[in-house]
Amino acid sequence: MSVLEGALIYSNLLVLLAIGLTITYITTGVPNFAQGSMAVVGAYVSLSLLVFFNMHPYYSLPVSFLLGGALGVGIYALVLRPMIRREAMVVTLMIATLAVDLILLGILGAYSDALSQLTRRGTKKFIFTPLDFKLAGTDAILLVSSGVILVTLLSLFLLLYKTRFGIALRASMENPALAEIMGVNVEHTRLFSWFLSGSLAAVAGSLLPFRQEIVPATGAIIIVSIFAASIVGGLGSIYGALVGGFFIGMSESLITFYLSKQLGAGVLLYSKVVSLLLLIAALILSPRGIAGLRIWRHNRWRRSTSS
Amino acid sequence: MAQEYLLLDILLWFSIYLIVALSLNVEYGYAGIPNFGRALAVLVGAFAVGGVVNRILISLLGIEGGIIEASGSLKSVLNPAIAQNPLLGLGILLLCLGVAALLGAVTGALFILPSAKLRHDYLAITLLAISEVMFLVANYNTSLIGGYYGVSVPDVLAFVPGERRFLSFTLLGLVLALVVFLLVERLLTSPYGRLLKAMRENEDVVRAFGRDILVLRIKTVAIGSAIAALAGAFYSLYSVNVIASTFFRVDWTFFPFLMLLLGGMGNNRGVALGVLSFVVVKVLLTVYKYEIKAVLHLPFEATWLEYMLFGVLMLLILYYKPDGLLRERPLTLTPPVRSALEQRGKEGET
Repeated sequence: MSVLEGALIYSNLLVLLAIGLTITYITTGVPNFAQGSMAVVGAYVSLSLLVFFNMHPYYSLPVSFLLGGALGVGIYALVLRPMIRREAMVVTLMIATLAVDLILLGILGAYSDALSQLTRRGTKKFIFTPLDFKLAGTDAILLVSSGVILVTLLSLFLLLYKTRFGIALRASMENPALAEIMGVNVEHTRLFSWFLSGSLAAVAGSLLPFRQEIVPATGAIIIVSIFAASIVGGLGSIYGALVGGFFIGMSESLITFYLSKQLGAGVLLYSKVVSLLLLIAALILSPRGIAGLRIWRHNRWRRSTSS
Repeated sequence: MAQEYLLLDILLWFSIYLIVALSLNVEYGYAGIPNFGRALAVLVGAFAVGGVVNRILISLLGIEGGIIEASGSLKSVLNPAIAQNPLLGLGILLLCLGVAALLGAVTGALFILPSAKLRHDYLAITLLAISEVMFLVANYNTSLIGGYYGVSVPDVLAFVPGERRFLSFTLLGLVLALVVFLLVERLLTSPYGRLLKAMRENEDVVRAFGRDILVLRIKTVAIGSAIAALAGAFYSLYSVNVIASTFFRVDWTFFPFLMLLLGGMGNNRGVALGVLSFVVVKVLLTVYKYEIKAVLHLPFEATWLEYMLFGVLMLLILYYKPDGLLRERPLTLTPPVRSALEQRGKEGET
């Protein structure tokens, strides 16, 4: 796998994660600190299907998609919605997603321990790279991850711009109170956004082991890149998430690679420093990100914006 | 003996976590700054001991070698010297705490700078991201503080006989926590404390009264980080080594938030109660983890169970008891202010 191909694969996955983070931020107003762990859940879903049913990770993508979506809906319906109904502060909701992240880490860690005992493997890390094959002269993962991105973007576009539900969805993203007056069920759009966020995260997570080793705590490491991608793109825009994901993914891989050629392989550990510096630069230069659009602003939930 | 050990363990962790939770109370409980990067300040405190004071002592004594080996030699030279001369140990202790507080304040002020003007969600994301990345750097770069290998630190209480060491460190921790408690209590009942509460409730009002939110946030996080760094330094001196991988987000950001919210933010006594309840549960879970694993037939480490339990506990607190065990008390008004308010009330009636 060449460096550029690796960077492209990573960027593809980061775009999926950033779109998921952004879409729930738009509809619910809370940055989801559990997005990284939601991806790792997808990785373990694929690992389990591989171990128990000998199913190739590419074929387990639909299962990951559905289970991830169910997880997203579960987090929203069981944790966030009850708090939103009590008019919780946005900070309270952020702490709640941190707690969800910790619960997911606990479950993943426990599951990973149990799985390695069951399969009698000593190590808890895993990677899918040996399972990959050549397709049209390149690694299949590059084509698969690009295909997933294309399908996602195309379906999002068709959904948002060509269907009645999409129009309602966009209306309730831009002005939930007004959309509700016009008879749009804002609750449905929130549930849908959490489903989509969870499913995209899980799909990205299923493909991530083709590029890096996965442990239960991987979520804590990739969350930095996800946030960087979303913020560089502008937290409130799906288009921004697309641009930001590619920008951060490419810079993280290519800048680190370039520096490692100059300064030695030790630099490779600092790929997240690149993301962090870009995040900080974006905050200083243009806090609204590349998309530059702030959809709304509020610090406290009001009854009118929740159903 | 076992029970005595358990009690000391609870008290030691109570003192360490009380300092961290109080620092978070200043920042989040009073000023409303969601510092999701609390772990960074604690790590900086440990860095002050293992990375700065160690290097100062190493160069003073002219010890050769990389930081990991030199720290080992430093320990073997200094521990006998401290055993002979208690003042040397206490001097190093004070030096460590001083450097930690200073370095904590500087880091705190710097790390909030990029997001100091921004809204709470951006603030929280940025602080978490900086803290996570610094943790990775400290963990992987073994030339800073030894990374995951760790560096040894001189035993500042080497003059205390071995069987009294744990007791002495616990007492020292309790004294340190008490000093911090009184300091924070004093700070927050001052006009500055009221200003922080005003900022938490409504930033626009504070701005309208001519206060700069940016400066106020920087100052507050600097103070909070200085306090949290004390805990990191003390913990490192107690464990006589600094291992970067122990300064994980769960232990030093999430758990302090949990203790703060459990006890009741904005109320220092509540925070102390929250820390005590949390630490009792946490120490018992840690001490009996093998028994728990055996009794419940868990096919995994009990730590994971602990994470799930504390995550669920956090959600329950946020949903059912967002004010915590002890609610924030209303402001105590000085007699002139109270009479002025009463006067106003009377005028309103007539």
